[in-house]
Amino acid sequence: MTVPLQKRKQGSPLTVPSPPAATPDLGPCPSPAAPNPRKLGSGPSRQWAHRELHHAAAPKSGSAASQTMSPMGQLSLQIAERGGKSVAVHQYHRGALRVLRPHYLDDSGQVCFVLVNPGGAYLGADLYLVDVEVQARASLLLTTQSATKIYRTPGSFAAQRMDLKLGEGARLELAPDQLIAYREASYRQNTRISVRPTSSLVMSEIITPGWSPDGASFKYEELRLRAEIHVEGESGGLLALDNLLIRPNAGDVTGLGFMEGFSHLGSLVVVDPRVDQTLADQFHELTAAYDAYTGISLTASRGETRGLVLRSLSNSTGELHRLLGDCTTLLRGKWYGQEPLNLRKH
Amino acid sequence: MPNTATSYQLALQQLTDSALPTGAFAHSLGFETYIDRGLVRDEASFSTWLSAFVGQQLTYSDGLAIRFLYDGTPVEELESLLTAQLLPRQLREASTKMGGRLLEIGAEVFPSAAVEAYRALVRDGRADGHQPLAFAVVARSLGVPFEEALSAYLFATMTSLTQNAVRAIPLGQNAGQRVLRKAHDDVAAAVGRILHLGWDDFGALSPGLEISQMRHERQRARMFMS
Repeated sequence: MTVPLQKRKQGSPLTVPSPPAATPDLGPCPSPAAPNPRKLGSGPSRQWAHRELHHAAAPKSGSAASQTMSPMGQLSLQIAERGGKSVAVHQYHRGALRVLRPHYLDDSGQVCFVLVNPGGAYLGADLYLVDVEVQARASLLLTTQSATKIYRTPGSFAAQRMDLKLGEGARLELAPDQLIAYREASYRQNTRISVRPTSSLVMSEIITPGWSPDGASFKYEELRLRAEIHVEGESGGLLALDNLLIRPNAGDVTGLGFMEGFSHLGSLVVVDPRVDQTLADQFHELTAAYDAYTGISLTASRGETRGLVLRSLSNSTGELHRLLGDCTTLLRGKWYGQEPLNLRKH
Repeated sequence: MPNTATSYQLALQQLTDSALPTGAFAHSLGFETYIDRGLVRDEASFSTWLSAFVGQQLTYSDGLAIRFLYDGTPVEELESLLTAQLLPRQLREASTKMGGRLLEIGAEVFPSAAVEAYRALVRDGRADGHQPLAFAVVARSLGVPFEEALSAYLFATMTSLTQNAVRAIPLGQNAGQRVLRKAHDDVAAAVGRILHLGWDDFGALSPGLEISQMRHERQRARMFMS
């Protein structure tokens, strides 16, 4: 499926006004001007990097815009299997994105990396690039240290592009913390995932209604979270296109036909040759106990593999976190004999 | 068929007539779940649902697929995008069931090289035959201009859904007609919006509509296949 990507590349480079002020008035969250004391290493400071972006920031119209931005943070990670244990064979980071030292939560050989944004938040015209390859038979759990926070991005947007590649029999669990978009924030997350028919992918996501000083919800400008999952190989192809666009100012997003009166949205996508209707039924039983409105369905099959999509609306991050956690716990136990995830981050 | 205004008018009417046997009477495309939950229960609540449906689903999926086809994107590529984007299984099946019938009818009563080529793709398993694309291929081969084809498709879909709602809720026949009259403005707004959307917008979903379409799979007593 090359056409949409090619089309997105069209469009001329954009010249733009200077980037937004980096000091949003934001009450309870850490100020980006006072970076996390844990910030280490040689990456450029946020202020320095912002000057670098002066010429390259982009207005929010024109989807080619982010392609001309130089990245604010960049991470590249390659995981391979070595004697039953998954290890990083290549690791590179630049700017405001890094990973903590890898650790092993059990004796399954699965390696866990925690993604950290030392600046604490995404700002206008920030571009983050994440490139992860899990090679044949290797297993990676990738999570974040804290919620992804998008501050106001006037006249611009923050963007994250993720490229995830899974080899034969490779396994990736992607379990980031929730996404919080603050008043007047715009954010675009583009994820391109390539799997082999024998790969196993589990990814979850929680989107909150955002945050504004007066406590009102849905005060952000725009959230776009788009993921394409491709199955490589002869009978492969595009397995799933998961595209979420929330633009609170363009119409009522809270009521019937959109958020249905709920505030939080959770998603779980599983791609694995073992996905079947029985698993969907198990998830259905498991999620029925929660104070949430949940739907589950299977994708068409592509190249001997298949996807399951679970979507859930609720009123709190905690409820969705437990609901999604129950589902991933079921998978970890059923498929790998692993214990429930306990990242003890909070 | 010559590309003149008079030659396609009747063909377009035939193609969008709710009596066209595509099986649209068997699909609620998710609103039956709202009926089951008591959220769609009268003229006003169905009208609200229909408005959300045309503003989301029909705009970002069906409508945008029709536009991309008219813009010259090969039908195979749009087919694969639609199959990947329609995540609720019943919705995907509804689209290909009705699309398959529309292609058969199109091939028989409005034959053209484009329709034949598309049918061959479906026959060979290289395409599933989605309804908006089947409609767009036939309409384009008849010389129907884009905006006219798009409006006709959106309104025809809303008409079928409204007729189904009249039976299912139930609503009075006149209430159904009032809903449809109100839908004119939604169609015009959707056409305007579809003209300005891009590739990144394709398939943007509404979580509520999608969950309801997924949950329909598990609904016990139901009149509709989707």
